[in-house]
Amino acid sequence: MIELRIEHRWQGFHLDVDVQSASQVLGLFGPSGAGKSSLLHALSGWWTPDLGSVRVEGETWLDTQAGIALPIEARGCAVVSQDALLFPHRSVLGNLTFAPGAHKLWNTPEGQRILDLLRLGPLLERKPTTLSGGEQQRVALGRALLAQPRMILLDEPAASLDAPMAREVMALLLEIKREWKLPMVFVTHRTSELLALADEAAWIEAGRIVHQGAPLEVLAQGGREGGLPHHDVENLLSLTVAQHDADQGLTWMSLGGEPELRLAVPPIDGPIGAPATIALQGEDILLAEANPGPTSARNVLPANLVRRTQVGEEVWVDLAVGAVELRARVTPGAASSLGLVPGKALYLLIKTTACRTLFGNALTGERSGSGAESPR
Amino acid sequence: MLSPSEIQVVQLSLSIAIWVVVLSLGPGWAVAWWLARTRTRWRALVHGIVLLPLVLPPVVTGYALLALFGRSTPIGKAWHYLTGEYLSYSFSAAVLAAAVVSFPLLVESLRIAFESIDPRLEKIARSLGMGRARTWWRVSLPLALPGVFAGTTLAFARALGEFGATIVLAGNIEGETRQIPVAVYSLLQEPGSTAAVWRLSAISVGLSLGALALTAWLRARGARKAGQA
Repeated sequence: MIELRIEHRWQGFHLDVDVQSASQVLGLFGPSGAGKSSLLHALSGWWTPDLGSVRVEGETWLDTQAGIALPIEARGCAVVSQDALLFPHRSVLGNLTFAPGAHKLWNTPEGQRILDLLRLGPLLERKPTTLSGGEQQRVALGRALLAQPRMILLDEPAASLDAPMAREVMALLLEIKREWKLPMVFVTHRTSELLALADEAAWIEAGRIVHQGAPLEVLAQGGREGGLPHHDVENLLSLTVAQHDADQGLTWMSLGGEPELRLAVPPIDGPIGAPATIALQGEDILLAEANPGPTSARNVLPANLVRRTQVGEEVWVDLAVGAVELRARVTPGAASSLGLVPGKALYLLIKTTACRTLFGNALTGERSGSGAESPR
Repeated sequence: MLSPSEIQVVQLSLSIAIWVVVLSLGPGWAVAWWLARTRTRWRALVHGIVLLPLVLPPVVTGYALLALFGRSTPIGKAWHYLTGEYLSYSFSAAVLAAAVVSFPLLVESLRIAFESIDPRLEKIARSLGMGRARTWWRVSLPLALPGVFAGTTLAFARALGEFGATIVLAGNIEGETRQIPVAVYSLLQEPGSTAAVWRLSAISVGLSLGALALTAWLRARGARKAGQA
């Protein structure tokens, strides 16, 4: 449980926020300059507001009126920011084992698990300045996990990366969320990141919380008011390899369910059963009322409509396919002519090339066996 | 080869410069750290006072020191009461003069080194569970170290070359305050000492070049380490 009560005045800007959240992952969403990062750093202790209090799990970290301010190092909040902020005078390994206790943890199976997940093995001897942006961010995540924090605070962790790398970092964060069950608070201005990672969202605008709740509802509310800055829906699916089809040049991923459903994606290196994360844009999913027969799309999948949400000028529909849920974007006109209501049976058409593969999971097979056994 | 008195001059120069570095490093560090991190409006004033000896004629600096530390001044009397000796025209005066003149170079190098450390790196270290002291030791210090070395060699070289303030405050006493520049000046007044002037000048050039080369090397190394090169 996080409770933040913050009031601060800068010249011409007033931050006045009261947030409570018991969710594992809280996303702070809004335009730049809205006060998201200040809020995050009131938690980390990097910044102290004029007035306010910060309470986490009933512990008081800050109370300006009572004169309480827990020092940064006593809060146990690992911070991962947009610039990875690796220590330039230390190697990657020196960065990873920097935190007290990290060295010990490094030599345990848990340390190995972090190494595998983030594929840090080949980077250990390198200097941070020789790494790409995505590699730096992976090291920063590893350094944060090895510090065994109570909470991870992420300040636009993917904002300075190009699209494929940003997607990979988000896939890794999803994996960390699932595997480590760590509470996270993260700042983003991208709807796709908010939808992919957050359990709860707080929309901040000009120093005020304007909406708070489930991410989809918060975006829908914001969209109704015309405030949604940039529409972007992306599905990040954790799937396993079901079959390789060399003749057709593709790999089938299991979607689970009964009967077993499969998704054709571009070819992947990895044994049967190896996990991989597939990214799929919401506008790349076509909906059909009946099975259209042969099409150029390799994937024609039966689905059930779970939820329909109006977000700004478009309709987002959540669809159950096998054991997986996908989110598609359609126009209001298409939604009404198809009669999209919860429970409706549909067919989804998805081109193979619309599915992008991310090896975000613990899977690269750098060491024998690690590829085949899914951590789940 | 050098004559015994010339060897004495070189040794005296080196020992003055070493004392300057040893005595100024602590205060220089403190002032530079404060200048790098403070936000008070007094910063500009303090910074100006620290830089003053860099732009003042050294002779004027020497005269100001004499007015502060001379035999009849309160500080001069206190020094005499405590040590039984007079400060002016002594080895200590030669160290003091050289220290004051080289202090701005030391502080500026350290200040720039401290300012170039991203304060977020220190915050990251503390968020990873390091206390203030350990963060300083394992992040701030290693990142500042190349700048510290560079500032130290620069101050050392400046102390070796100090003449104006020294001649006013410490005079020209053989074995006590006659270091290389003062000795060269004296020799120039004596006929037939051209060879000795050349020898001492060559040593002076050698020492200064060595110190500057060391500074340049440390700076380049620091820049490489910080990834700015």
